Amino acid sequence: MDAERGRERAEVQKDVTGITVVWLRSRLFRSYLRRFLLLWIAGKIANAVTAYIVKLPPLAFRPGTELVVCAFEVAVLVAFIRRANEDILLGNLGLRLPVVLAPLVLLHLALSFALSLLA
Amino acid sequence: MIAGDSITVSLGGRAILQSAYVDAVPGKITALVGRSGAGKTTLFEILVGRRRPDGGQVRWNGERVPRPSLVLLARRGLFYHPDRSWLALSLTTADHFALLGRSPDSDVLGITAWLNRRVGALSGGELRLTEMALGVALAPRVALLDEPFRGLDPHHRERVAAALRLMAERGTAVLYADHDVESVRRTADRLFSMEQGATRLVEGFRERPLSEWYHAWPM
Repeated sequence: MDAERGRERAEVQKDVTGITVVWLRSRLFRSYLRRFLLLWIAGKIANAVTAYIVKLPPLAFRPGTELVVCAFEVAVLVAFIRRANEDILLGNLGLRLPVVLAPLVLLHLALSFALSLLA
Repeated sequence: MIAGDSITVSLGGRAILQSAYVDAVPGKITALVGRSGAGKTTLFEILVGRRRPDGGQVRWNGERVPRPSLVLLARRGLFYHPDRSWLALSLTTADHFALLGRSPDSDVLGITAWLNRRVGALSGGELRLTEMALGVALAPRVALLDEPFRGLDPHHRERVAAALRLMAERGTAVLYADHDVESVRRTADRLFSMEQGATRLVEGFRERPLSEWYHAWPM
């Protein structure tokens, strides 16, 4: 029974890895990427304006602020996904939202950090 | 395969489900029939973990699933079709199959005619057939379909029924909800009726007159 379960778990794990690779290459992921980039630009403008008002460097990388803005961007994207019932499509694929969103969080941090170096 | 046992839910002090039981059997089409508002959608949402019950449990292969979720059950072989469209409107039908890593293995549903059209540009019937074709391509162990015939003309209804039969022939445990009793009599192998939040398995529903087991409901 345990060996059977172990085999089943291994198969599921293999499937999950395969699904994740397919997901990252998919057009749906690219469409989320585009939407997230627009949200990142909106978030960056709002963040820069706020920083300018309180006399801080507008494009500096402040980890706490970046995480708050990133959480907001992710929340907006999740709302879009749920509104379109695409969470059910992702669910049928066996994809958890954290797996779907993790690359976008990394992208936010990388872009914000790169922009702070350029500024 | 999948079962909801003694499921109880109340909303705002009103009992929606009262110790409801439903299950699906491999290779068979099981229908859950009840009028609108009987609690069919609520019961399906509990089975896939989109809603928490006040009492009762969900079982998979006889084992209790402590915290069911669509992702967890999909990884075990569940396909879920809710009572609304769930495809990405900006993608084509072919994109959806690519996302699944599958190809449409037969054209029983006629979807190849719109394989490269955006899902958002499909008619309601074509959209439903696309959803069913994806379900067939996934080769699920269990298919949970909430009102798959809703809003379809007879031609599209027949094609969706063919998809359900195809899944069952391939060993899938199909469980679907409907409120059209005559359609259910033609399509289903097993039938649970649902009334006032409670369910019962109806034996011999094809042979027995409708009035014997459906008399309390408006037609």
